[in-house]
Amino acid sequence: MASFTIRKGLNIRLVGAPEPEIADAPESTAVAVIPPEFGPIKVRLDVQEGARVRRGQALFHDKKNPAMRGTAPAAGVVTSIQLGPRRVVERITIQVEGDDVEPYPRLDPAAVRKADRAEILDVLLKSGLIQLIRQRPFGRAANPEATPKSIFVNGMATGPYQPDINVMIKGRETAFQAGIDALTKLTPGKVFLCLDGARQNAAALTDVKNAEVHTFEGPHPSGNTSVHISRLDPMKPTDVIWTVKAVDLLQIGHLLLNGEVPSHRIVSLGGPAVQEGRRKYYRVRIGQPLKTWLDPHLIKVETRVIRGDIFSGEKVAADDVVRLLDNGYTVLAEDRTRHLLGWAMPGFSYFSVSRAFLSPWLGGLKREWALGTNQHGELRPMVLTGLYDKYMPLNIMVDYVVRAVLANDTEEAIKLGILETLPEDYAVCAFACPSKMDLVGIIRKGLEDIEKEGI
Amino acid sequence: MKAFLEKHLEKIRPLFLPGGKFERLYPLHEANETFLLTPAEVTHGPPHVRDQLDLKRTMIMVVFALIPATLFGIFNAGYQHNLAHQVAGATFWDHFFKGLAICLPIILTSYAVGGFWEVLFAIVRKHPISEGFLVSGLLFPLTLPPTIPLWQVALGITFGIVIGKEIFGGTGFNVLNPALTARAFLYFAYPAQISGDKVWVSGPDGFTYATPLGIGMVPHAGETITETLEKAGFTFEKMLIGLEPGSIGETSVIACLIGAAILVLSGIGSWRIMVGGVLGLIFGSYLMQAIGSPNLKPLVDLPFWYHMVIGSFAFGIVFMATDPVSAAATNAGKWIYGFLIGFLILVIRVANPAYPEAVMLAILFMNVMAPLIDHYVVQAHIKRRARHVYA
Repeated sequence: MASFTIRKGLNIRLVGAPEPEIADAPESTAVAVIPPEFGPIKVRLDVQEGARVRRGQALFHDKKNPAMRGTAPAAGVVTSIQLGPRRVVERITIQVEGDDVEPYPRLDPAAVRKADRAEILDVLLKSGLIQLIRQRPFGRAANPEATPKSIFVNGMATGPYQPDINVMIKGRETAFQAGIDALTKLTPGKVFLCLDGARQNAAALTDVKNAEVHTFEGPHPSGNTSVHISRLDPMKPTDVIWTVKAVDLLQIGHLLLNGEVPSHRIVSLGGPAVQEGRRKYYRVRIGQPLKTWLDPHLIKVETRVIRGDIFSGEKVAADDVVRLLDNGYTVLAEDRTRHLLGWAMPGFSYFSVSRAFLSPWLGGLKREWALGTNQHGELRPMVLTGLYDKYMPLNIMVDYVVRAVLANDTEEAIKLGILETLPEDYAVCAFACPSKMDLVGIIRKGLEDIEKEGI
Repeated sequence: MKAFLEKHLEKIRPLFLPGGKFERLYPLHEANETFLLTPAEVTHGPPHVRDQLDLKRTMIMVVFALIPATLFGIFNAGYQHNLAHQVAGATFWDHFFKGLAICLPIILTSYAVGGFWEVLFAIVRKHPISEGFLVSGLLFPLTLPPTIPLWQVALGITFGIVIGKEIFGGTGFNVLNPALTARAFLYFAYPAQISGDKVWVSGPDGFTYATPLGIGMVPHAGETITETLEKAGFTFEKMLIGLEPGSIGETSVIACLIGAAILVLSGIGSWRIMVGGVLGLIFGSYLMQAIGSPNLKPLVDLPFWYHMVIGSFAFGIVFMATDPVSAAATNAGKWIYGFLIGFLILVIRVANPAYPEAVMLAILFMNVMAPLIDHYVVQAHIKRRARHVYA
C-alpha cells in the first residue's frame, strides 16, 4: 500500500453536502431506459411494444457488438418505445407489474473466486452491467474482446457533493468483495483499489482481499481515476485499462451473489438548491423518472439538476430517469444575478481562486460557499497562459493539448497524452479559466475524433 | 440604480438583436451593457459553476497596475516642463496639472482612435469588443515622449491595433505586443519626434536634455560612467524615483515596482518573466564586462543596478514582456523568454552604436521567438512523457 499526496487541484468548501444517511425514495409505477446513455451504439430492439418483460431481460442489443445488451431494470409491460430522428431509439418505457426476474447464475463468494473469465464476462454482458465497467482510453463501456492490463476501482470522490462509498458499503461488504474477486478474473494484471487518505475508511475497503489498496490525498481532481492510473500503472497510447467506481461495484457484486439484476441503487443528493434535511442518500428504483422523487426536495427557485459532480457532470433533462450509471445528483440554483460594474468592484462576496478580488485575500477560500450556475463573464479567446497547469495533477500541458485538439492535430494530442485523460480531468481548469473556455467539450471532441479515426 | 439599468438595458436590447434597427452595432451595445452590469449568462455545460474572474477583470487589473506609473508620469511631465521653463515656486499640484495638460490629450487620443478601430473591427467581424484594448490604449501613450504630436499618436495606435492585432484575428491571436508594435512603427517612421535629445521634455524651443542612455553613448575621459551620470544630475536615487526626462510612464522604477506587485499578487502578470528578465540583465552585465572590448559603449561599466533604473527596463519587463498573448506560454518558456529579454536589452545597450535604448526591440524580437521557445519546451515535454510511460 502506498499513499500519494496530490498538490495540484482545487478544493472549494461548499454548502449542501449530503448527510451520511440513507432514505427510501417513493417508487414510481413506470420506469424507462434511455439507450443513448450507453454511448455511440446502434440499438437493435429485442422486444416490441406490449411485450411482458422480466427484470434483467434483454430489451435491446448493439448491432455492431451483439454481446452488448441493455436489460429491463424492472418487470412489467413495455408500454412505449420512443423513436427520435432517423429512428434512433430514445426511450423504452415499462409499466411496472410484479417482480419476475430473469435468472442469472447465482454464485456464492467461493464460487466467484473459482469462476473463470468467460463465466464472469458472460454474466456481465447478458445482464448489461458490463456498462458499469469503463474502458480507457475514451471512457466507454468495457469491450469484452480486450484484455485490460489492470483494473482500477475508484473508492474515493473528491468532486463536490459526490457519494461516499463508506456510506453505501454498510451491510453490503460481501457484495463488494465478490465484485473485487470477479474483477481479478478479468485481467491478467492487478486490481487496484484507490481510497481517500483523508477519510476514515471502512474495514471492508482497507482490508479488501485480492486487490492492491492505495490512498490518495489532496484537492480535486486527486480522486479522478486518471490520476490514480498515472501514479500506479501509467498507460501507453495502445494500452487498455478498465475502471470501475466502487459504488458501482456493489451493483455487480449484488448481481453475482443473488443471480439477478438489481432493481434499485443508492444515489446521493446534494447541493445548495436541495432543502436542508433532504440532502442525503436515497435508495431509488433504477429507471425511475427523476421528477417524481426529486422535485419535493428542492427549494422553490429555478434549479439545475446535475448527474455527477458540478465540475464535470451532465445537466439532467426534465423528463430524465435514474440511469444505470448514476450514483449522485447535485442541484444548483440557476444564477442570473447581474453585478453593477463587476469589473471594478473589490469583490468581497465573489468566489474566486484568482487573487484579483479581495475575498481570496480575506480568507474567502476557507469560507463555505453556495455557488450558482452564473458563468461570470463571457466567452473570450485564450489569453492567460499557464493558469490551467495549477489544477492539473497529471503530467499534461493543458494549453497545448487544447490547442492540438482545436487545430485538429490528433497525432500531437496523443503525443501530449490526451488518451491518458478524460474530459472530466480538465473540468477544474475550465472552472478557473477567465476566458470561460469549454475545455471539457473541446477534450471530449478531441477524444471522439481520435476514437473515430483509430489510434 | 442597478434595477433601473437592468430595466433600461433590457428595453433597448431588442434594437441591437437580429432584425433590430441597430443590429450591426450589437458589439457596441454588448460592450456597454457588460461594462455596466456583469452578464446574466449561465453556464452551458460542464463545469456548471465558474470562477468569478473573467477577462474584463483580468485586463482591468493590468490597468490598475498601470495607474501608479501613469500618475507619476503625468506629474513628472509637468515637473520637467516647469523645470525647463524655470517656473519659480511651482507646487506639487502645479506640476500635476501642467502634466495633465500635456499627457491627457495623448492618452485620450490613444483611447479614442484605438477604440474606434477596435469597435469597427468588432462590428465588421461580428466579434465582441475586446477588453485587451483598454490595456494597449494606455500602455502605448506611456511609452511616448510628452512632446509627441497627437497625429502621430493616432497613427501609431492605428498601426498597433490594425497591423499588430486585428489582422491576426484580434486579442488572443496576435504575435506581437500591439502597444510595442505601435511604438516601433513611430520609432522607425518618425525618429525625429521619438528619439534624440530634444523630445523628452516639453521645454522651450530648442531645449535639449540628454537622457542617461544618451550620455552613456559617448565616452568621457578621466571619469567613471557613474560619475559622468551624476554630474549630469542622474543619481541612482533620482532615477529610481523617476524624476528624470523620458517617456511618460517609464521613468519611475518605484511606480513600475508597485505595478509589478499588483500584477504578481493578483496572479495576472507572470513573475517568471519578470525574474527571468532581471537575471538575464545581471548575467548580461557581468558577461559583457568580462568581455570588455574597446568597441563597447561606456555603459558597459555601469553596474547592473543602474541598468535596472535607467531607460525603460523596469516598465518594459513589468508591463510589456508579461503580455500573456505575445509572451511564451509554457512555464519553462517564460523563464527563457524573460531571461533572453533581459540579456538582449543589455547587449544592445552596450554594443549597438545606433540605438541608445533596447527594451522595445528586445521585447519585440522575443515576441517573435516566443513560439519557437514554446515549441522546444513542448517537444522536450513529449520526450520526457514518452520516457516516463514506456519505461
